Amino acid sequence: MGQLAQRIDGLGQRRGGKRPFFPLILLIVGIIGLLLLAQAVAQTDNFAETWNLGLRDVLNEFKRWVVVNRNDHWLFVFFFEPLSAVIDFGLRRVEDLLLWLPWPVVIAGTFWLGERIGGLRLGLLTAVCLIPMGLFGLWAESMQTLSLMVTAVLFALALGIPVGIWTARSPRAEKLLRPVLDAMQTMPAFVYLIPVLLFFGVARVPSIIATIIYALPPIIRLTNLGIRTVPADALEAAEAFGATERQLLRGVQLPLAMPTIMVGVNQTIMMALSIVVIAALIGAGGLGDVVLKSLRRLQVGSALEAGLAIVFMAVLLDRLSAALTHLERNSQPRFKGFRFFSEKQRHLTWVRRIEEVIETIYQACGRYASWVNAQVGRVVKDGRMGQWVRRYPNGVALLLTLLLVSILMRLLGLGDFPRVLRVDIRGVVDGLVQWMQVNLYDIGGSGIGTGPLRDFLIISVFQPLQHFLAEQLPWTVVAFVFAFLGYQAGGWRLALSVLGLTLLIGLLGMWPFAMDTLAQTLVAVLICVAIGIPLGIWSAHNDRVEQFVRPILDFLQTIPIFVYLVPVIMLFGTGSVAGLIASVLYSAVPVIRLTNAGIRSVDETLRESATAFGSTQRQMLTKLEIPLAFPSIMLGINQTIMMVLAMVIIAGLVGATGLGLEVYQGFANDNMGRSVEAGLAIVLLAIMIDRITQKLAEKTAVSANITL
Amino acid sequence: MSKVELHHIWKIFGPNPQYVMESLEKSASRADVLSQTGHVLAVRDVSLAVGEGEIFVVMGLSGSGKSTLVRCLSRLIEPTAGKVLINGEDVTAMDEAALRELRRHKVSMVFQRFGLFPHRRVVDNVAYGLEVQGVETAVRLAKAEQVLQLVGLNGWEHHFPHELSGGMQQRVGLARALAVDPEIMLCDEPFSALDPLIRRDMQNELLHLQQTLHKTIIFITHDFLEALKLGDRIAIMKDGEIVQLGTPEEIVARPVNDYVREFTRDVPRAKVLTAAAVMNPADGATAEQSVTAETTLEALIPRVLSYDGLLAVLDEAGTVIGSLDRRTVLLALAEG
Repeated sequence: MGQLAQRIDGLGQRRGGKRPFFPLILLIVGIIGLLLLAQAVAQTDNFAETWNLGLRDVLNEFKRWVVVNRNDHWLFVFFFEPLSAVIDFGLRRVEDLLLWLPWPVVIAGTFWLGERIGGLRLGLLTAVCLIPMGLFGLWAESMQTLSLMVTAVLFALALGIPVGIWTARSPRAEKLLRPVLDAMQTMPAFVYLIPVLLFFGVARVPSIIATIIYALPPIIRLTNLGIRTVPADALEAAEAFGATERQLLRGVQLPLAMPTIMVGVNQTIMMALSIVVIAALIGAGGLGDVVLKSLRRLQVGSALEAGLAIVFMAVLLDRLSAALTHLERNSQPRFKGFRFFSEKQRHLTWVRRIEEVIETIYQACGRYASWVNAQVGRVVKDGRMGQWVRRYPNGVALLLTLLLVSILMRLLGLGDFPRVLRVDIRGVVDGLVQWMQVNLYDIGGSGIGTGPLRDFLIISVFQPLQHFLAEQLPWTVVAFVFAFLGYQAGGWRLALSVLGLTLLIGLLGMWPFAMDTLAQTLVAVLICVAIGIPLGIWSAHNDRVEQFVRPILDFLQTIPIFVYLVPVIMLFGTGSVAGLIASVLYSAVPVIRLTNAGIRSVDETLRESATAFGSTQRQMLTKLEIPLAFPSIMLGINQTIMMVLAMVIIAGLVGATGLGLEVYQGFANDNMGRSVEAGLAIVLLAIMIDRITQKLAEKTAVSANITL
Repeated sequence: MSKVELHHIWKIFGPNPQYVMESLEKSASRADVLSQTGHVLAVRDVSLAVGEGEIFVVMGLSGSGKSTLVRCLSRLIEPTAGKVLINGEDVTAMDEAALRELRRHKVSMVFQRFGLFPHRRVVDNVAYGLEVQGVETAVRLAKAEQVLQLVGLNGWEHHFPHELSGGMQQRVGLARALAVDPEIMLCDEPFSALDPLIRRDMQNELLHLQQTLHKTIIFITHDFLEALKLGDRIAIMKDGEIVQLGTPEEIVARPVNDYVREFTRDVPRAKVLTAAAVMNPADGATAEQSVTAETTLEALIPRVLSYDGLLAVLDEAGTVIGSLDRRTVLLALAEG
């Protein structure tokens, strides 16, 4: 290793000389040399067993210690248990409330919230999103997941906003926290489950703790950003009028940072939702549990129902919290014209008629609210309560009404979603799956179909590639190639750290599994790039394509990672191919988006001058657009790779081999140590690839003189 | 006693201003300090005194240190050395709390880019100073309404700043500064961001307000004509130093150097210069006719055209303080 470092070091000194091909020559020479070396010393083909760090045993030992000492060690008695109790208390209250409230009341409450934040359309959308949860017979599970979400997000905000404020005010705190947050965002979600699992065991509270930690970075970051970007003149003015620190924060900084903070809230909610499902692995319950159990039993229909319920919840929470980010500051009331339709459709008679009906309903509601308030006003006259009533007349009227309705419905036994309204799609879906398995597996015996495709991918792509990486290539060559890439991207320091990380994966005893995962990752990324870049270019050149693609991408990004598996195993059954296709669906989004954005951001005057010199469409693309968009495209590829790696564990759930399966089997077989080792290996792989690709993106950006 | 006094104010920006301050050659130029120490010498040894009820204008081009100077006054920027006295009290020695009290009650500020709070309605912007003082809601809103009336913005109370035009926004800024009933108002180029016509309106408005309010105003501008129009006295700054300090007439009539003379070029001298500024010292020669000291040249011209002899210049008490004739007036008009 020292020799290698020296060589790489030497390389650094000679760089910038007259021989641009030198690195390539070195790469080839290095590989051949190592291959010959490996041939001579046959054992180095695979990572030597004797080098294993033995982390597994240590961790399993530690877990046994935790189990034994849980009831009397001070760490548990005075720290983990009380923490656990607080969270459990919060969760139970939320859950009791949501499960007690009759379903129409929950829907009405959500509608009202949506209407307040974003108008009638949003209100209707959010209300409509809740209904399928009942129709699928998953109301209770949905409310469970919702209470997990609400509890976790509330704790995350209560923790994250103060920390964000702190980092905004103290440069030292920011310096301290920034690398931690960076690292946290590189980690796949499940990584957070492992330590939590160690200390708390399998239950709902640990899953909430993992969720809180996982969802923290965006709210901290964006609170920090929001406060830091408050215009300096507003701050100076407040200071000039003698505002105290506290007045400055509450009166100026927080309100002005609010839109940014709300973006953080939105991201935190979405991250929490994406992990709440994975957290079913450690006993979170709710919808995730339904998906997980159904997948295990290969009941695609019920997995799809639960998956759809999760999608609806994601859409609901996303739209609600996203609407909070663009509340406008206007002195005029928000609605001047139509509440549901657009003003442009005014000429249609039926549109006007419907709007009139809506207006009548609104007015009736207003009259009802003022009547309720008049009644309330007789009882509550003064004090704080009275002030609240006057301040939020509609809210008070609504809350009272909903409370009364709730009590009434519970007394009459009408609170649960009626069974009559069940819509059974699982039967249909299961039938469809069967039909597909019979008819699409090999269409007409032609050799075309999901079966042959799967076989082809496994037999001709995955297995040879995995075999090549893990067995034919000595690990030294793989490590060397990584180090070389690291050197190309970020100099000898990056090369050395990459080398260290690769070595560590081997030392954890995860080398063959890591190579398996790497093979699948490579294939998935290549497919993403092969689909994503052309699609990105096409949508950059064609507004109609973009208009068509954009909502689909938005939707794909809203769906929690878990849900992708369901339709895929409908077609391909379990195994690596299902994992691959789910990965591609999930991960192709950033490369499409950023290719599109990169090309669209090319300056129009440059295009004009290229045209003026007589460029063809093709020349325009290859000589101007792609080079200028390249850094952006690289960034897209970086994000895509990270998403593929985040998907590894999920793919393991449906039997894709490699590190993901190792983690999952560790969970299933109560072999903590194995899970941790495989999990660590994924993290190491992720960090390594992230650093290399990110540096490459930066480097290309610098050489193209573009700021990303 | 002057309302505001600055004694030898210095401001140096950079990583170690105190050290530079101590080791500084007092004659070193700004460029030297920058190249030798990497520090920016923003304000150099400024001393001045502003009287109660005076509009004192600090005029200079961008980078002359004028904005820094005015911020040193209420210590929005901490001066590196020197002393600020307000009502004889040493501001530079005040602790946080005392300083806050000063900013809340005595000194208020109007900003170039308005510095309005975009998330607050006009009336809440105006009431902000009172709000941080802890004044009750009803009282402060009433006061805000009253001040808005004063600047001619009644009816706009419940709009948000971004819904108003630039001129109106600065009226809000002015109202916000007036709402706390300050003794001293600091105006940092308040009208620079406005259109010329609106700017003229606002200048007149300020003069009009000042007639009834009699605040002590320290007004920053880069516009020499604005300085002449508003200032009872003017300090001209260059490279952090005061080049010349005097009444508008003194500066136009007797610029100390070419730098100042350059500004006076475009000045309509006939409108600015007064008899007192151009007269020769009283030498005992007798004059049959007389004019008052404040008569502008514009008004003097017809007099000297119709009269060949010497005119005595009288002060308010009627005492002869100097004399002038046709030649004096012509010379004064021709200069610059």
